[in-house]
Parts: sequence; structure tokens; C-alpha cells
Amino acid sequence: MLKTIKASVVATLMAGTAFANPYADYEGTTLIVNFPAHPHYDAVMKILPEFTKETGIEVEVDQLPYLKMRERQTLELGQEEGEYDLIAYVVFSKADYVYADQLENLAKYVMNPKLSDPNYDADDLIDGYVYNIGFAGGNKGYLEGKTGSLFGIPYGSETSVLGYRKDIFDKHGLDVPQTYDEMLDIACKIPELEPGMGGLSSRAASGHHASHAFLLHLAPLGGRVFDDSWNPIVNNAAGVKAAEALKTIVDCGPEGATNFGFGEALGAFLNGDTAMFLDTTVVAGQIDNPDKSKVVGKVGWALHPEGVRRGSQTGGFGIGIPANAENKEAAFLLMQWLTSKKGDKLVALAGGNPSRFSTHADADVNAKFPHMATFGEALKHADPDWRPIIPVWGKINADLGTTLSKVLTEDLDIQDALDGVAERTKAVMEEAGYYTWQ
Amino acid sequence: MSLARANRLTPWMFLAPAAVIMAIALIYPLGYMIWGSFRAWDPSQTIGEAEFVGLKNYVTLWNDPNFRESLGVTLRFAFVVVVVEMVIGVGLALLLDRDIRGMSLLRTMFILPMMIAPVVVGLMWRYMYHPTVGTFNRTLESIGLPTVDWLGQHALLSVIIADIWQWTPFIFILSLAALQSLPRSALEAARIDGATAWQQIWHIKLPLMMPVLIVTGLLRLIDAFKVLEVILVLTEGGPGLSTEILALRISRTATEFRELGVAAAMSNYLLILLLLLTMAMFAFTRWQEARAARIRAASEDDQ
Amino acid sequence: MSQSYEKQNPAFYAVIALLVFMSVGPVLLMFINSFKLDVDIISGTSGLLFLPTIQNYETALCDVLWYEPEHLDFCSLKFGGAFINSLIIALVSTMLTLVIGCMAAYALVRFRFMGRDTVSLTTLMVRMVPPAVLLVPVFGLWNNEFCLDKDGLIGGAIRDAFGGRGDVCLAGTHSGIILIYVAMNLPFVIWILQSFIVQVPKSLEEAARVDGAGPFQVFFKVVLPLIKPGLAAAAIFTFRIAWNEYLLASALSDRNTKTVPILIVNNMSEFNVEWGVIMATGMLLAIPPIIFTLLASRQIITGMTAGAVKG
Repeated sequence: MLKTIKASVVATLMAGTAFANPYADYEGTTLIVNFPAHPHYDAVMKILPEFTKETGIEVEVDQLPYLKMRERQTLELGQEEGEYDLIAYVVFSKADYVYADQLENLAKYVMNPKLSDPNYDADDLIDGYVYNIGFAGGNKGYLEGKTGSLFGIPYGSETSVLGYRKDIFDKHGLDVPQTYDEMLDIACKIPELEPGMGGLSSRAASGHHASHAFLLHLAPLGGRVFDDSWNPIVNNAAGVKAAEALKTIVDCGPEGATNFGFGEALGAFLNGDTAMFLDTTVVAGQIDNPDKSKVVGKVGWALHPEGVRRGSQTGGFGIGIPANAENKEAAFLLMQWLTSKKGDKLVALAGGNPSRFSTHADADVNAKFPHMATFGEALKHADPDWRPIIPVWGKINADLGTTLSKVLTEDLDIQDALDGVAERTKAVMEEAGYYTWQ
Repeated sequence: MSLARANRLTPWMFLAPAAVIMAIALIYPLGYMIWGSFRAWDPSQTIGEAEFVGLKNYVTLWNDPNFRESLGVTLRFAFVVVVVEMVIGVGLALLLDRDIRGMSLLRTMFILPMMIAPVVVGLMWRYMYHPTVGTFNRTLESIGLPTVDWLGQHALLSVIIADIWQWTPFIFILSLAALQSLPRSALEAARIDGATAWQQIWHIKLPLMMPVLIVTGLLRLIDAFKVLEVILVLTEGGPGLSTEILALRISRTATEFRELGVAAAMSNYLLILLLLLTMAMFAFTRWQEARAARIRAASEDDQ
Repeated sequence: MSQSYEKQNPAFYAVIALLVFMSVGPVLLMFINSFKLDVDIISGTSGLLFLPTIQNYETALCDVLWYEPEHLDFCSLKFGGAFINSLIIALVSTMLTLVIGCMAAYALVRFRFMGRDTVSLTTLMVRMVPPAVLLVPVFGLWNNEFCLDKDGLIGGAIRDAFGGRGDVCLAGTHSGIILIYVAMNLPFVIWILQSFIVQVPKSLEEAARVDGAGPFQVFFKVVLPLIKPGLAAAAIFTFRIAWNEYLLASALSDRNTKTVPILIVNNMSEFNVEWGVIMATGMLLAIPPIIFTLLASRQIITGMTAGAVKG
């Protein structure tokens, strides 16, 4: 009895898909999407033809470097009718876009039975990232919370991991660092053990890069940018410690480290100029690519070392539908396809960063990328509050990054420098109205 | 009658297209910018929606240490670049002012750097300055010298060197032209009087070249405030604010911090600075013309 | 033309050789590197010993190649399209600037009329305006004010003909970028051409006028042919700026009107510094100006000296 029901259900389902193709209405539509020039989205480019083949929806991609992408989007989203149907956005753009009412709330698409795939399994998406990237309106406005709702879906979830040179560590009998003290210790030992080699390559260039590197250390060392009532506490003991850690790393790092952007930092590691690399998971594909890397097969991966707590970064991109898009429904279908179990696995196999638990556990993916298990573990320790996602963050971020760069190059006193940042941040927050209720 | 009117209108008809285009695309935007500089203006707003805040943007900037630092960097950059380029350019012109085979080919080679896109110049030098794979550090390493952290510790110097590379030829070519148009009789007379090469340079060539040199220097100075792409590609203004010239800061304020009003106010400060420079240049050329006319008049009186 | 050259001592030639090396060296370096694989550039143990490859150029030009390069999974760099945009923008704006600038310069030199001094003073003043100063207003105006309503007559017609959405604005069109380039270059062109037009003997024009030619005929038939060298110089300078400019183009262009400098800066993206490809695109951008320099260095130098020596 049960069996027959099951069989008939399956039969109807199959008949259903055969006769009522959910994509049929949108066949021939051309979606214009805005993606960053980024390894994950390079992988996406490889799987998009598959989507077009399956659905008949054409996709035209405008790929831009991610800081440029934001400028472009600011302009496009501000218009009455925009060009883009689907955009990938950096985590910290979430606040701006949602606040300015420029992203579609996804509820009405998920509720629409014609669009929403019943087998999507949203529970399989990694929680931290859904809240960090897609969710807005919860606690503090950007965290998980009862008042929030979904505006985007994480796609290209990154966290920080420690990459280390197995050969160098074996040669000198070093242990993979578990804590910050161990890591800093080894970072400064390496230049002595291996003349000409830097300890850890980190980004440090003025602006976003320096700020990012600092925040990377701030969370595990127990610090935060703001306390619960939005007072800047970046200049407390943990903040100073994080800045000191950054300075130590840069001082014991490869040559020219003070001006390293992400590309240079990674380049130094790829070139074998440093023994460790602490940054996003997105680099794994390049490290294993013999065209780009001289350290293929020599790199091991470990969790972001622990300070007073585990706290790796939550970063990466989300995809969302602009409120002024032309083909919103087709865009939702693309978004759903990309983030589905199938799409996530495809993109992982093409070298992207999956956003689902199941993909991280997937046998095929793990067979191709053995580091995926470590990365999956790292994602569990990802700290969604390592960086505040509020509309005025861009300005604070720039100030923080410039000041830290001065600390690194001009030997500014760390406490003074951070006090200055805190003071200016306070003024920015005051002006933006964060102290209205105090 | 109507012919006379047509004649009166002719100059205006010749001028009209240029006037219209410059009015629409230069004068009006500049006015628009001045208007916008009094507003708290976000890129997602039209200027009408932006709130009027009076002089707030100007005051904020004036008290902003970052802006002042950036202004300092700009002035330092422009000043150093112009002085060094003038010295090298004029020196080379004096050195190479001889009749040698292939001079025109040589000049062609020298103007090459000027013609290449600043963006490309930036990326060439970024590669050469690269801490490990760059040409300079490789060369230093291979001859056993310590390497230099070009774009880190010495960013402003590196940026200045790149600019000198690109623009010294400009000064060189102009001074060479000036030298070659000097009255031969004066030089001849000096030589007959037994002046040494140095004396000729100090007492005859340089003073006679001076008017051209001053104009050249001012032109270069104005252009030095326009430099942006090379620095953008080389350092993006870093580390810290050490190479963040005003032009770059304006563009960052507008696009990255999304504060069009502040960026407009900053543009105005830069414009005022340049206005003073241009006025100086204009006054100088006027004065020079007047002097030339006086001298001409005097010589005509003699006859 | 036999000319006796002075004999110079060897140190002098050494200095010259060094200077040539310094000015051309970086360009050559870029040229050589554009034929290397990234691995070769980074390891760089040998300066000249490497296997040349056109792979970087294939990557750069993948959207206009007739075959699909094997080493690429997909074509991300749309260099061909950007190159065409750059060509359109640079050529059209150069043409317009020349014609308009020439007429204005002629009027300023030949006619005495009210406001002449004001006009030439303004011309000189706007010459010093840096592109960065124009960034904010141009961004605002071109995006928000210089628009045609999409429901209006002309705006509607444009939308029907070319598709797209929203109001028809100057931003994101070739015309938008061309307009600002013409405006930016006009003062300089007028300034340079004035010094050439002054040299045209007035008697020639008067003779033509006596023969019954109107002012426009005099201008096009008599004056223009005589100032050809000046036109060439002005053309090269205008082209150079329009071809090389980055900042305003990046604020005004959209994905279909991107020019090459924008593409190069974008491609310096931080995740993947692909030196080989960057050098190849840089080389492609540099080629037209290099060709001009080699062909017309005399005109360039005349133009430069005319611009500076005559204030």
C-alpha cells in the first residue's frame, strides 16, 4: 500500500517536472548579473553554461574587482530602474543596501510555489553565513535575531585558516601552532631558521587591507570594535594586543610586507617566500595550481589559531536581487539553482567555496580537495560578529586601515593610534545617530 | 547693413561650438560642484535631495588631519617633482645641445615615456618596484646590496622617481628648443671674449632661457597636481597617507566614502590653489609680453 | 644635406646610451615580460632566457579571437570590446576637438570683438582644472541631470531603438565620455593652435576675401591647410589624453563602454595579480601612442614647444 503511494507520488513528481518545467516561462530571458573578479566566482563562471543548458535562461556576467563592484552597484541600485538582475555583494555592503531599501526581501519568492524548489533544503546552508551575509534586521541590525529576515543567500563562504609549509615545519621540527603565542613565536623564528624567508604573510597595505588583517586577530584575541551599546572599544587591551600581533607578523614577515595587499601577500606565499599564510580559505585552489604556485603539495592547513577564544572570520559574498531589477523571478531561479545542493557541489568541484554542510561532507568534493574537511571544521568556529556590518562601517574601516598602516610604517604608538581611531569612530557614530537612545 | 551684422556675428559663430561645449561640460559642472560642496550629498541622492549644510564640509576638511596631510603630500610631491625635473631636464639640454648624428631619433626616444598611458607607467613601475620579483631589488640582490622596500618605506620617493622618469623629457625638450633658438650672435660674442663654457651657461644661456623656463616650470607644476593614475596604480595612496595626493583623496572620498559634498569641497580647495598658480603664470606672461614690447619699442626708437 | 658633426668624446656617448636605456628600458621590460608565463616572471631567474609565449595576448584578446585558447576555461577579460570603445572615444573626441578648437582659435586670433580677452582668459583658466576636480560634478550631472525622460519623445525613441531601461542619461554612453573629453581638451587645443594661426600671413586671407570668399571659406580653404603641422600636434595631444584617461572614464562608463585603462586597473585586482596578462594589456594600450611617437615625433615636439614658448 505504502509502496504504491510512494510510487505514484514519484510518478506524479516526475510527470510534473516533465510537463511543468518551472523554468519554461523564463526561457530565452537574458539575466545581467554582477559578480566580483574572485576565485569563487571564476568557478561560478565555469558552471553557468550548465545552468543555461538546463533552463534556457541566458546569463550575461559583468565581472569587476570587488571594491569597484561596490561603486558600480551603489550607482546602479540608486537608480529607478537598474541594469542588474542579480548581484553578488560583499558582506559589509549588506547594511548599506538593505538600509537603503535596495535589495528584495526574499520571502515573497520563497513563498511562491511556482518558483520555490521544495527540495532546496535551506537547513543545509551553514547557519553562521546565512545570518552573517543574507540576514538583516536582527540583533544590532546585522546579526541573527527575531526581528530579522532574509535578503540574500551566502555564496562563496570564506573563513580564515592557517596555511603552513609542511616541508619547512618538518625540516626544523616545528609544531603547527595552535595558539596565537605559538604562531607569533614561530613567525619570528622562521627568518632565523630559513634566511630570506618571512614568517607569515599577511596583508598590511593602507586602508581595507590593514584593517582586515587587524580584525582577523582582534576576534580571537578577545576584542571587538564596539561594545553592546556601540561605544568603540577598539583601543582596549585586546585591541592593542591585536595591533601588536599584526606588527610582529609584518616585522617578521617577508620583504615589503607593509605594502602588501591580498594579492601580494598570497603571491609571497605562492612564491615560497613565507612559511605561513593566515587569511581566507579562497586561496586553496591557487595554491594547488602549478601555473601560479611554486609550493604545490607542500602546504598543510590548520584552524585559525586560538587566542582567548576561537574566532575565524566570516567573509565572502552573498547574492541578492536588486529592488530595481527587471527580471526578478528569473533571477531568483538562478540564485536558487546556484545555491542548491547540486549547484553548490558543482561550484565546489570547480574550485569554489561551498556554503552547505552537505557539500563539505561530500565524498567527491573531499576526494578532489582533501583540505575541505579542515575548512568545514573552520567554518564551525567562524565568528559572525568579528566585524560590525553597519552603514557607517566603510568610513570607520578606512580610518582604521590608514591609522594601522601608519603604525606599521611610521612607528606610531599603538595605544595612541587606536585611541585616535576610537575617538574619531565615536564622532562618526554620534553623527550617525547611534547614541540617540542613551 | 545686414552684411555688417553678419560680419559682426562671424567671430561668435566661430566661437559658438567651443563656447557651448565648454559651458555645458566645464563651466556648468564647476558651478554645480561649488553648489554641491555646501551640501551633505550621497551618491544615491540627486543634488536637490541633498541637505544644505552651509560651510560645514569646508570646516570639517580644514580641521581634518588627514586632509591636511594629503595636502602636504600633494605640495611636497609637486614641489620636489618640478624642482628635480627642472634641474635634470635643463642640465641634460645644456649637455646635449650639440650637433650630433641622430639627435632627432634621440628626441623621439625621450618623448616616449610621456606618450604612454599613466596607467601603464604605473603598472610598469609597480612591477619594477616589487619587493621580491621586481627589477630593482633583483639587481640590488645580484650585486650583493641590501634590497629596498620601495613602495613601503619609501613610497613617496618611489612615486616621485616614476614621475621624474615620465616627465623630465618634457622639460628637456622645451629647454633644448629654447636653447636652440637663442640668438647665435650673443653666444658668438661671448666666445670671442673668451668666456668659459660655465660662464656662457651662467651668464648668457640661462638668463636668456629664463622666460621659457619659468613658463615650462609653471606648466609642469600645474600638471603635477593632475597626476593621479600613476599613484593610484602604484600605491593607491598608501602606506598610511604617505602618497595620497589630493586628486586621489577626492576620488576616494567620492567613491569609497560616498561623500560627494566633502569631495566637492576638497575639489574647491584644490581649484583655489591651482587658480593662484595659474594667475601667477598669466601675470608673468603678460609682464613678459609687456617687457618684450618695451624692448622692441626702445630698439625702434634707436633706429 | 651635408652637415659636419662635432666630434664628441666617448663619455658623452656613454651618457647618451645610458639615457636612452633609462627612457626606453622600462617599456622594453614590459614588452619582454608580456611574452612570459607568470611563473617565469615571478621566478625570473633569467632575464632573457625564456620560452616566449603569446598566451598572455590570447587571454587578453579572447573575446575577439576566432578560436578558443586552450588554457582558458572562460573568457573573462573582454579586452577587444574595450579596445574598440577606446578607439571610438579617442578618435571621435579628437576629431571634434580639432574642428571646434580650430574655429575658436581662429576667431580669437583674427577678430577683434568685445569679450575677446575674457574668452581667452577663461580658456587659459580652465586649462588648469584637473580631471579629479571634475569627477564629482560630472558624475552627478551625467547620471542625474543630463538625462532624457524615458517616457519623453526622444528618450522613448532611443529606448525603443536601442533597448535598455531607465531614463536615457549621458553616463554610460560613448557620447557622455566624448563630451567631457572634448571639453577638457579644447582649452589646450585652442591655446596651441592660436600660436600657429598667428603665423598665417594676413595678406593671404585678404587676397582670398577680395576674390569673394566668405569668412568660412577663407578659414577652410586658406587657413586650415597652412596650419597642418599645428593640427597634427594638437591631434596627437588630444588623442593621447582621450586614449589614456582613466578617472573620468571609470566614473562615466558602464560595462559596455569600458575603455582600456579601466580594464587594466580593474585587472590589477587583488586576488590574482597576473603579471603576464597585465603587461600584455598594458603593451596593447601603449602601442598606438608609441606608433604616433615614432611617426610624428617632429610634430609632437613642435606642438610642445609652441604650447610653452608662446604663453
